[in-house]
Amino acid sequence: MKFIGIVGTNAAKSYNRMLLQFMKKHFSDKAEIEILELTDVPMFDESDDQSDSDIIQMFNKKISEADGVIIATPEHNHSVPSALNSILEWMSFNLHPFDGKPVMIVGASLHPQGSSRAQLHLRQILDAPGVNATVMPGSEFLLGQAQKAFDENGDLKSEGTVDFLDSCFTKFQRFTEIANLLNVPEDLNFKPGTFEVTAKGHNGDLPMSVTLSKDRIEDIDIDTSTETQGIADVVFSRIPQEIVNGQTLNVDVISGASITSHGVIDGVARAVKMAGGNPEILKKRPKASNIVQKDEEYTTDVVVVGAGGAGLAAAAKVLDEDKKVIIAEKFPSPGGNTVRAGGPMNAADPEWQNTFDAIPGEAHRLKEIKDMKLDDIDPEYRDDFQELQKQIGEYLGSDGKYLFDSKLLFRIQTYLGGKRTDLQGNEIHGQYDLVKILTDHALESVKWLEKVGVSFDKNEVAMPVGALWRRGHKPMGPEGFAYIQALQKYVEDNGGKLMTETPVKELIIEDGKVCGVIARGANGQKITIHAESVVLASGGYGANTKMLKKYNTYWTEIDDDIQTSNSPAITGDGIKLGLSAGADLVGMGFSQMMPVSDPETGELFTGVQVPPANFIMVNQQGKRFVNEYGSRDQLTQAAIDNGSLFYLIADDGIKDTAYNTSQEKLDAQVKAGTLFRDDTLEGLAKQLKMDPEVLVDTIKKYNSYVDAGSDPEFGKDVFDLKAVKAPFYATPRKPAVHHTMGGLKIDTGTHVLNKDGKVIDGLYAAGEVAGGLHAGNRLGGNSLADIFTFGRIAGENSVEDKQRVEQND
Amino acid sequence: MKFIGIVGTNATKSTNRQLLQFMQKHFSSRAEIEICEIKGLPAFNQPEDRVAPEGIQVLSDKVEAADGVIIATPEYDHTVPAPLKSVLEWLSYTSRPFIDKPVMIVGASYGALGSSRAQGHLRQILDAPELKARVMPSEEFLLGHSLQAFDDNGDLVYEDKVTELEECFDQFLQFVDITNQLIKNHSFQAEQNKNFSWEKASEGGNN
Ligand SMILES: Cc1cc2nc3c(=O)[nH]c(=O)nc-3n(C[C@H](O)[C@H](O)[C@H](O)COP(=O)(O)OP(=O)(O)OC[C@H]3O[C@@H](n4cnc5c(N)ncnc54)[C@H](O)[C@@H]3O)c2cc1C
Ligand SMILES: Cc1cc2nc3c(=O)[nH]c(=O)nc-3n(C[C@H](O)[C@H](O)[C@H](O)COP(=O)(O)O)c2cc1C
Ligand SMILES: Cc1cc2nc3c(=O)[nH]c(=O)nc-3n(C[C@H](O)[C@H](O)[C@H](O)COP(=O)(O)O)c2cc1C
Repeated sequence: MKFIGIVGTNAAKSYNRMLLQFMKKHFSDKAEIEILELTDVPMFDESDDQSDSDIIQMFNKKISEADGVIIATPEHNHSVPSALNSILEWMSFNLHPFDGKPVMIVGASLHPQGSSRAQLHLRQILDAPGVNATVMPGSEFLLGQAQKAFDENGDLKSEGTVDFLDSCFTKFQRFTEIANLLNVPEDLNFKPGTFEVTAKGHNGDLPMSVTLSKDRIEDIDIDTSTETQGIADVVFSRIPQEIVNGQTLNVDVISGASITSHGVIDGVARAVKMAGGNPEILKKRPKASNIVQKDEEYTTDVVVVGAGGAGLAAAAKVLDEDKKVIIAEKFPSPGGNTVRAGGPMNAADPEWQNTFDAIPGEAHRLKEIKDMKLDDIDPEYRDDFQELQKQIGEYLGSDGKYLFDSKLLFRIQTYLGGKRTDLQGNEIHGQYDLVKILTDHALESVKWLEKVGVSFDKNEVAMPVGALWRRGHKPMGPEGFAYIQALQKYVEDNGGKLMTETPVKELIIEDGKVCGVIARGANGQKITIHAESVVLASGGYGANTKMLKKYNTYWTEIDDDIQTSNSPAITGDGIKLGLSAGADLVGMGFSQMMPVSDPETGELFTGVQVPPANFIMVNQQGKRFVNEYGSRDQLTQAAIDNGSLFYLIADDGIKDTAYNTSQEKLDAQVKAGTLFRDDTLEGLAKQLKMDPEVLVDTIKKYNSYVDAGSDPEFGKDVFDLKAVKAPFYATPRKPAVHHTMGGLKIDTGTHVLNKDGKVIDGLYAAGEVAGGLHAGNRLGGNSLADIFTFGRIAGENSVEDKQRVEQND
Repeated sequence: MKFIGIVGTNATKSTNRQLLQFMQKHFSSRAEIEICEIKGLPAFNQPEDRVAPEGIQVLSDKVEAADGVIIATPEYDHTVPAPLKSVLEWLSYTSRPFIDKPVMIVGASYGALGSSRAQGHLRQILDAPELKARVMPSEEFLLGHSLQAFDDNGDLVYEDKVTELEECFDQFLQFVDITNQLIKNHSFQAEQNKNFSWEKASEGGNN
């Protein structure tokens, strides 16, 4: 038999450790006892999950694999030491290796009756549902006056004590055998057939049919049409496969798509129940994926970190140059934030844009630029600016009725839109050389994507949310996924290797040159990839609140529990990797918030989506606090100043204007508690815990502004609906992190630069991981242009730099 | 009166913190409650030199100076969370500021039981010789279903619970008064506890 012994303290000197060491030696002919120490176990912290760390994984694995566990606990303040609590908390939080595990408790203490109280507490703890160990009853082994108990060889001096320990241990061996019988999987029998069930998905119901034979789950078929493509796909392929292969419901949910994952698991459980089986038995079966794998090693030309838009574009370019590429992707499916993107990518393509009519307001915008003073423009942009003023003058002079655009307008808008000053008075604007590359080459990126297999809708020129001009090329097909789908296919068809669930943890650096990465595989194995160059394309750090707060210089406050529209994978890993190679950073204090996000999930597309003309924004007191048409930054700061949470008030009329809504969806949201509805404004105010008089007064005033066509309070100048017709709705909203503009400092060739402005040999960065381009504010639609333009450059240079060096040699 | 309220967890989101914040606001006319966090304090590791790390010493001084201490504890695995226990270990192992300090225990949990088992353990812990706090007897304030208990203004929405908390707090104010009178004549035992050692106790000393 194999046991694990846990020393219940992290103290340097411990009699409990001596006791376990004695047991290990004394019982060596009966059983193997491996002793584990708590010294390196981090303090449990619910809000900083470290279940994935090496040390916690090690404990999990060793305990899972052992036949039983012996815990030797000291007594601290009538209870067990916090260090022991801490490991048990980790082992009951996301991992549960103690479930059903036979456990023996022993304890040594200085006091004659010592550790009896600690042992009692420990029994209660081990019995808690998250731990659920099977503790051997009775046979309390208490070693009192431990300082006198051992001789110089570490042996227990008293024969009587040794005899008692022998009897306890023998009993524990028998107990282990019997208790482990309970862990042998129970047999399951089903009424064979195909069962139709609906599970809860992320976007609504997921109809599925599950086929069961007498004793097996044979097939799981899911109607996937309602779930978000790209994000949930992998759930539909992997989870059913794991369930069927392993004949188990104990499968890991997929990070980033946990709701859909649980939906599928629950659906199968329901079918099992319908067939007369007990799904709990299936949930207790061992995991299909729990097989430990051997370490792996690869050699390639270029390794790309991250399979978002930038990473896939870089990889495609490497393949175009006839070189080999491996993409290491942290998550089970590629795409990162890129699959979440709304779709349109900016590129000035005047020939095409000129075929559309101008719309009201556009000429006015151009005139504003034409009237700007040269002094207000930073010196490096002045030549371009004057040239643009000329272009605008000609266009306006010719009384053009078509949609105007030029590379220069794109450039100047990117520059002006990105110019910001932070709380400390530091001004930032887009680095000229990077902005020039973006605005000169974005159109080539569109053309290149077309070659790769993305088709764009030529009938519509879009203005993405948060953009300044209509120059968005909108792909046919499902939004951001359209790019990822085409690029992934291109990369795989041309021999690129995409390794998912392979987060890169370290760069390999030799003599100052970056020459590969070390990653961790899905089963904990170490994956080493040697390469000539490394391209970092791991996205920004929008899902890493700690990091945002650490660098933030722009917002007066970022809540600890702020939500994000980003994929949970986007935690700044590439920036940390860059730093480990000595990279310089730029613009890290600037992040972009989406002011009107779901307070619970950070998502953009929940709630009632209507143009600001149709709702009234009120704070938690029921007062208006901002012009609903304010910029993202204005809305966000106003929200932060008003306690972050606010509401969009509208009346029954919204259901005719909201493009994503129907009566059915509204009802569902009210039921789910994500939308408030009431027949009176007073009632709505009460639901929102506002003073009804205040809200009623706010709405009365607002309605009068709509009638008058002007808003003396906040200057709103575009109105549509009033709030008059019951029922009334309130959508709760809160700012969420949307984009991080700061990142690794790069040159126009995407080489990562160190603090002295020198190129770090072998290291490239493209996409949101890099900084300097968008500066203080990223315009809607500019990211996609960025990642495909700089992603391509990174792919090209990671190959060509090397060839150039070889030719010179 | 001046109290400190110790948030018994290092989690960034905690209904126990909310409970203390509510108490701070709700009782502001009757007592000043300073909320102390334990996040980021080093894990207890029983160093030979028995010197408290800086953050622990700061907390220790606050406990020492306060008229009473309110501890809000969550329940993890039927007991007190490790981070809170670690702080108590440090304090018992170094400066021992809890000796004779009036303490009120409250706790919130998501389930129905409101951290009752953790509170029971905490009482036993605070009764250990190097802590020897004066824990208010019999009264226990348990807040179950704590996730739904607070509104956006941080107010406790269960009215009966507000009343109960008010009564508890009244009692605690009286308890602090009585205890402080009681311990005036208690300096010998207090001194004993300050010097208590398990090594000596095991030899039958320390009485
Ligand atoms: C909801 C939403 C809507 C948006 N809409 C638009 C829009 O309409 N137009 C626009 O231009 N921009 C939009 N953006 C911004 C744009 O989507 C992103 O800035 C852009 O996609 C970033 O691309 P990327 O390739 O740099 O990173 P990502 O696409 O985020 O890819 C990074 C990849 O790296 C992986 N990764 C991270 N760490 C590691 C590691 N250690 N090892 C291996 N892999 C790792 C991630 O899992 C991810 O797959 C939107 C963003 C969001 C969140
Ligand atoms: C903070 C602290 C609190 C302690 N509390 C107790 C106690 O309540 N009961 C007890 O018997 N020993 C107590 N001790 C003394 C010993 O640590 C204890 O007897 C222990 O079980 C000895 O085992 P070890 O050598 O493995 O640490 C305490 C020690 C420390 C450092
Ligand atoms: C590791 C762990 C174990 C837990 N064990 C229990 C438990 O045994 N009993 C219980 O009621 N709640 C348990 N919970 C839930 C917590 O009690 C709950 O989060 C807490 O009491 C609420 O207080 P808080 O909001 O201040 O964290 C556990 C939570 C964690 C993270």
